[in-house]
Amino acid sequence: MSQPTIPVDLILSKLAENAERVQSRAQKASEVLLEKMDTDLAATPSEVVYQEDRIKLKHYKPRTKTRNATPLLVVYALINRETMLDLQPGRSVVETFIDNGIDLYMIEWGYPTRKDRFLGFDDHINVYMDNVINFIRQRNGVDKINLMGICMGGTFCVIYSALYPEKIKNLITTVTPSYFDTDKGLLHVWMKQIDADRMVDIYGNIPADVMNFGFLLLNPARLMIDKYVGFMENMDNKIFVENFVRMEKWIFDSPDLPGEVFRQFIKDCYQQNLLVQNRLEVGDKRVDLRKVTMPLLNIYGKFDHLVPPEACEPLIRYVGSTDTENLCLETGHIGIYVSSKCQKEFAPKIVSWLKDRDVIPSLAKTRKPPVRHKTLSTKSTVTETAPRPTANAKNSI
Amino acid sequence: MNENKPDTTGMETLTADWMKSVADFWSGLNRMWLQPQAGPDPDSQMSATHSAKNSMDTAIRNWQAVSTAMSAPGSVESLLKSAGAMPELLAKMAQHTISGYLQLQEKWIERYGRISETVEAYSFERVDENMFRSWIDMYETEFRQFYQIPQLGLTRSYQEKFNQVMDKYNIYHATLAEFFRILTLPLSHTAAVMQEKVGELAEKGALPDDSQKYYQMWIKILEGHYMKLFQSPEYTLTLANTLNATSDFTSARDAVIQDMMSGLPIPSRKEIDELERELYELKKRIRTIEKGRQT
Repeated sequence: MSQPTIPVDLILSKLAENAERVQSRAQKASEVLLEKMDTDLAATPSEVVYQEDRIKLKHYKPRTKTRNATPLLVVYALINRETMLDLQPGRSVVETFIDNGIDLYMIEWGYPTRKDRFLGFDDHINVYMDNVINFIRQRNGVDKINLMGICMGGTFCVIYSALYPEKIKNLITTVTPSYFDTDKGLLHVWMKQIDADRMVDIYGNIPADVMNFGFLLLNPARLMIDKYVGFMENMDNKIFVENFVRMEKWIFDSPDLPGEVFRQFIKDCYQQNLLVQNRLEVGDKRVDLRKVTMPLLNIYGKFDHLVPPEACEPLIRYVGSTDTENLCLETGHIGIYVSSKCQKEFAPKIVSWLKDRDVIPSLAKTRKPPVRHKTLSTKSTVTETAPRPTANAKNSI
Repeated sequence: MNENKPDTTGMETLTADWMKSVADFWSGLNRMWLQPQAGPDPDSQMSATHSAKNSMDTAIRNWQAVSTAMSAPGSVESLLKSAGAMPELLAKMAQHTISGYLQLQEKWIERYGRISETVEAYSFERVDENMFRSWIDMYETEFRQFYQIPQLGLTRSYQEKFNQVMDKYNIYHATLAEFFRILTLPLSHTAAVMQEKVGELAEKGALPDDSQKYYQMWIKILEGHYMKLFQSPEYTLTLANTLNATSDFTSARDAVIQDMMSGLPIPSRKEIDELERELYELKKRIRTIEKGRQT
């Protein structure tokens, strides 16, 4: 029986090769890093058409001759910025939308200052969102608009659609937490222990750096080590470096979160899961998900560690709509918008889904009715049919 | 009986004599002090030094009275008794201090001993047993109360707030150290697991020759350890404690800064906060009125 040996010679020769490669890479990298780089975000031209306090409404003109009859409003989260949807030419959800005839509006929440810390769900949904939506309805001469929300912005959109269903034609939620009583995502586990009152009383607004540190802690091995090892290994590649810097710019360009929004999001949503119980109150209004009767497309990431599928997919069971669809893409929280693979799946899916439903009323009878209640994986196979719970079942959760 | 009684007669007499001479000295000094001084303009000097002389006179008289009272035989005996008991008192104090210190040391050694106990891979059940946690426990039971001694007098509220800052700062630092210690646990765990894995591969003769593969193995194990740690109740509790300690320290620090700023000719954060809240509520009321008019 022969004794196993350690291939010391091979290991050493590989190390020598690596050292040579590292030296050559470092030389090229210094050239790349000293060159002028294109790392601008959100380069697609837009126009600010409405402004209220720190909130701005941006409008992107369609690049096609024909456009969808109904404009689309995209509502981003209050955490990080909407520039992620327009990261760079060729990797931009915004571009895909306007290249396919969508009349696109997007809310820019801006950077809250200390005076904004009293602004809660009520101010953001019943005031800012409602004013913006009324403005678009008036500007485009339509009764209803299409609404798309991202992450926390999606939760806002669900709430808005339940409060003002008469103003929303189609609803699209992407990586949107709506069912909070799960321990699948670390955020859900941690947020249950957070003393939101104490944090808001002390900080006013929740500092972006505190939140970013928390997000990095969700996976420090990958986000604080492996990511930068990857950068070191590719820093002689200009395109890679530019893309990497763009992402870094986006990730750490974080506005503070208004204190009252944080308080309500943590206490009412993460800790008490009031939204799906139809017990959430926003201002003087109670949110009843059964009033969400418009078509709903709910997209989320299978590997999302911030908002896991368990927090997204139950939504279609609680709304009143009969035309709902869950789409689970094989990606993470951010990859859904920026990965090359999802560029071909995510935005085109929304475009086609909206086109199917963007019908002129007189033609509606001749069009094929849309599919009802389905859950799809990325391979477009039906994986689950979501039954709607009874009223009692809803209230019991 | 007299033999058993401590012989303090000599000492008593000596002390009484010394007290008496001290009283005489202060009495003489007082007389000298009260005699009018010769000078070019006695009237103006008198008015300038009048209050100072009065104060000095009172002080000397007080001291003279105390010295006289102390030289009385009963007082001297009492004073000597206290002096006799002093070594015993000091010994008692030292005994308590040393005993307290030994208890602390014992606790430290006990806790420190647990640190060296190895933790199994992907297992963080005993993460609370560590030096920083011990320090927080000890701080809370042994030292913290010093910062909670009631403060007195004109500056009591400032001193109390300052003590609060010191107290919260200590807790904040200890909690933060504990938090970062927990965060480094997966690194040491991973190093140990990697050693085992490499050992196993070496035994099988399957060691990879590419350093990238070692890195990939390491990062994967590290990621697994972090995931396991982050789901542990101990981590969640430590995270919550850290956030709470940070909030408490920030709040205490802001209270002191607030006091310091109150003397400056600029508005404080509290004042601006109040103003902003008023503005916010005012805007809300206007919005409601406008909405009512539109409908």
